[in-house]
Amino acid sequence: MKGEFILDRNHLSYWLRQMRKSRELIGPLMDGGKDIVFKSVDKIHELVLDCPASLPSPKEFLFPQYESMLRFTPLHLPLTKGGQGGVSLSEKAIEDLSDKTKRVIFGVRSCDISALSLMDKFYIEGHKDPYYARRRENTLFISIVCNNPDPTCFCIGLGTGPYLEKGFDIQMTDLGDRYFVQIGSHEGAKTVKAMSFLFRRPQKTDYEDQYEVFLSSKARFHKRINLEGIRQMILEEKVKDDFWQWVAGRCFECGGCVYDCPLCTCFTVTDRTYSEGIERVRLWDTCMFKGFTRMAGGVLPNEKMVKRTKRWYYHKLIYYPESLGGFGCVGCGRCTITCPGKIDMASIAARLKGLVLNEEEE
Amino acid sequence: MNKILTVCPYCGCGCGLYLHVENGQIVGVSPSRSHPVNMGSLCVKGWNAHEFIAHPDRLKYPLIRKNRRGSPENRRFSGVSWDEALNLVAAILDEIKKKHGPDSIGILSSAKCTNEENYLMMKFARAVLGTNNIDHCARLCHSSTVGGLAAAFGSGAMTNSISEIADAKVLFVIGSNTTEQHPMIGMHMLEAVDRGATLIVADPRRTKIAEFAHIHLRQKSGTDVALLMGIMNAIVNEGLVDVDFVRRRTENFDTFEETLRRYSPDIVEGITGVKAGDIRRVARIYAMEKRSMLFYAMGITQHITGVDNVRACANLVMLTGHIGLPMSGLNPLRGQNNVQGACDMGGLPNVYSGYQTVTDPGARKKFEMAWRRRLPEKPGLTLMEMMDRAYEGKLKAMYIMGENPLISDPDLTHVREALERLEFLVVQDIFPNETSEYADVILPASSYAEKDGTFTNTERRVQLLGKAIEPVGESRPDWEIISDLSSRMGYTMNYRGTYEIMEEIALLTPSYGGILHHRLQEGFGLQWPCHDINHSGTQYLHRKKFARGLGTFITVDFVPPDEPPDDEYPFLLTTGRVYFRYHTGTMCGRTAVLEREEPESFVEINPDDAERLGIRNRSMVKVSSRRGAIELKAYVTNRTPLGIVFIPFHFRDAAANILTNPATDPSAKIPEYKVCAVKVEPLVRPQKVKRVPSVDLEALRIT
Repeated sequence: MKGEFILDRNHLSYWLRQMRKSRELIGPLMDGGKDIVFKSVDKIHELVLDCPASLPSPKEFLFPQYESMLRFTPLHLPLTKGGQGGVSLSEKAIEDLSDKTKRVIFGVRSCDISALSLMDKFYIEGHKDPYYARRRENTLFISIVCNNPDPTCFCIGLGTGPYLEKGFDIQMTDLGDRYFVQIGSHEGAKTVKAMSFLFRRPQKTDYEDQYEVFLSSKARFHKRINLEGIRQMILEEKVKDDFWQWVAGRCFECGGCVYDCPLCTCFTVTDRTYSEGIERVRLWDTCMFKGFTRMAGGVLPNEKMVKRTKRWYYHKLIYYPESLGGFGCVGCGRCTITCPGKIDMASIAARLKGLVLNEEEE
Repeated sequence: MNKILTVCPYCGCGCGLYLHVENGQIVGVSPSRSHPVNMGSLCVKGWNAHEFIAHPDRLKYPLIRKNRRGSPENRRFSGVSWDEALNLVAAILDEIKKKHGPDSIGILSSAKCTNEENYLMMKFARAVLGTNNIDHCARLCHSSTVGGLAAAFGSGAMTNSISEIADAKVLFVIGSNTTEQHPMIGMHMLEAVDRGATLIVADPRRTKIAEFAHIHLRQKSGTDVALLMGIMNAIVNEGLVDVDFVRRRTENFDTFEETLRRYSPDIVEGITGVKAGDIRRVARIYAMEKRSMLFYAMGITQHITGVDNVRACANLVMLTGHIGLPMSGLNPLRGQNNVQGACDMGGLPNVYSGYQTVTDPGARKKFEMAWRRRLPEKPGLTLMEMMDRAYEGKLKAMYIMGENPLISDPDLTHVREALERLEFLVVQDIFPNETSEYADVILPASSYAEKDGTFTNTERRVQLLGKAIEPVGESRPDWEIISDLSSRMGYTMNYRGTYEIMEEIALLTPSYGGILHHRLQEGFGLQWPCHDINHSGTQYLHRKKFARGLGTFITVDFVPPDEPPDDEYPFLLTTGRVYFRYHTGTMCGRTAVLEREEPESFVEINPDDAERLGIRNRSMVKVSSRRGAIELKAYVTNRTPLGIVFIPFHFRDAAANILTNPATDPSAKIPEYKVCAVKVEPLVRPQKVKRVPSVDLEALRIT
């Protein structure tokens, strides 16, 4: 169900306020004049729409850093004669703690929205992850056509931004005094329909203005990166081992690239024993750590740093296209912002010369 | 979901991070993009700083026990109300004070707690108990800096700011594993190297930062004074001294120079094992570039010559005039998140806040007037001395806040015995730890996410914490506990909030004079000295003149380590930290990912030594010193040079500090963690070791 509408700028906060009655409204806010962060919106007029990239990516609302999964309360059986006694678990003893909050995330960038389609493939198609799937169902994304890319952004060369053709719930383009609203999903359409009196059909000038915004936002990018070119270089074995050694030597093992990446999916599961029961939690983890693949008996198959950094790039550039049909990188530039060793995707690409086309040279 | 800006509770970098709060629970962490220190990055500990907060092990209510030497029944802890616990502590401390005098009580403050809490703890010790016996873990890390630099410059802190590092031209890092222990400072250093700076690292071990170095000097552990004197000798002989600076801004150069003459690079080569040519090269590179920053950490301070090492660094900086400018100075990297603040607040036996000495009648008078109590004149006991007095039975009670001496102090067997002999021990912490096992009363404190207050990072930046959630269980912020206890002991501390404590600090502490909570809310805090409400903080110190007026050259001489290796104990043991762990592990040990990465202790040993002893990688070995023995896994690596072994001190099982030497620096009383003599024996039958080829092609294969 597709649709295109115009929303007056003055009506935005009313629309969001109505939506907030049934969902938690999350949006980009300036914290004390310092950073832009996505959090629950208290004062709608404080939303910042031309915001730089937020850390971490909005995947935190679908696949949180710390997520309680379930709690089980073991029933202690009396000791039997000669036996060990024991603990039994019945259906009743296990309590589902998964998050059921309905949310609307407002002001998300296009790159993060396009990452969702691959995340969905990973977490929902085939083996379905119920925690992710439930949050995904309950979350509505309203994305903004990016009009203020960071110097680190490079979605433009990858077709994942600054605006999208499909894959969004609702996409908005800021036309100054009004927004061009595009509907891309059933849930998105419902939200607009419920408040249809706020919207009107776009006219020719609206289309022209929207196209102008598309053009001007494209013009604001500082770089393009040819991931396919790097992929070919790797496949043709043009990237030598000493290059990967150099990369590994600069890795700080902070895990930031994985934590911040909208397409990284590593997690670990741990149990916490409280007095009232045992809670199972899922936490972000990263394949950048040697212990991530530790085997029983303590063997570390990936003890050498070079194996891990190299695998991350192979995963993003070679395995992802093979298994999920797209690069494991949407050009959001967060790894460039967060990497203390400057061995992020963009820096690596720049290093593998000739792949970054500066806009001046285009 | 709400996000609260606060300060990382791990190391002294003081990174800005957001705590994510959902339904009264912390569910995540993210870095601040515009913070001047971390600029959107975090190290692995910062990224995982949310997890331990709600860990089931958290102390949730006060615990007491009847008699820790009695029957198992009496030894068991039972939960009580705050009233009961605090009344008991107040009564017993009062009784001990009356019976044995105030100096029979020792207080350990905490570099993990806020400035406000440290200030209150020091007020509690001095005004309420009437003793100067207050110290904290800075004794074990940078007491040599506090004393050494105060004497030379008049102020013992990092002279420059972290944001200046990336623009420096020469970085001289001595005795600091910066990329692993101050990762975000390491990030700025790497940035400087990328921009063309020369990096010189002096460290016996081939640490991660040494991998980036243009010159890596591997001096023998404990010969830093000789190395620095050799460099200075070369600077003098090659005419690279900033004569004008030495003449105008320093004193005492001539006496110092007489000693310096004896340390020609060739003689120093014999002592340190560093080639004379390298010493001259470093001397030239360092002296000839004005934008030279000198960094040091535990490798300099944790020696019996810790203060001398610091003085030698100070002399080097003054000799070349590399101080008092941006990107030019002497930078001790402080370890704990608030160790700078805990020292600033006077959590030390000889000074009040702002390093005003207790022996100075003027300063004492000022504090006596403000606090309305007579204050003791004599400096109190240092941490190590407290343990010794407790061992002798002269110190009767201790009150330990947020510290775990039973892992962090040297010669643990002695410390354990000392704590056992105490009549009364109060431990105040967020988690039960090795020390609390010896306590009579355990008071549950709130973690950094549950309180407000300020931390001062290594670059003197005083930053505001953001309270994200309510205290877990019945736990209370440390400042509330101290003021409640104090009121019960007849001295009312009536503060409505931490901002009122800060106001009192500002009133009594010149360097914090303009630091008030409402000023810290804008931007990312203020860097002291900040004398008044209109002062915008100080980016770098000793501009135009030193804090004490003229800088002083203090003559130092090389003294060998207290316990060099010998025939019986042929290896030199040096201790330190690993990246995924932090100190005694009370926080990181309760974080799934960090715990998994470094689950157990190990000893690093050079492949040649390992081969000679028949030790295979990952096989169990026994390491023993004159004070004890531990069993742990060997990690055979070239990082550690011949004749030296390295053990991280974090782990309760196989605690490195069972082995370490409690010999201390004569003035700073810092123990010599970095050098003691040990022997290493394979626990299994010695095996023929197959050497792996140096280029490991297998490691490069993708799996």
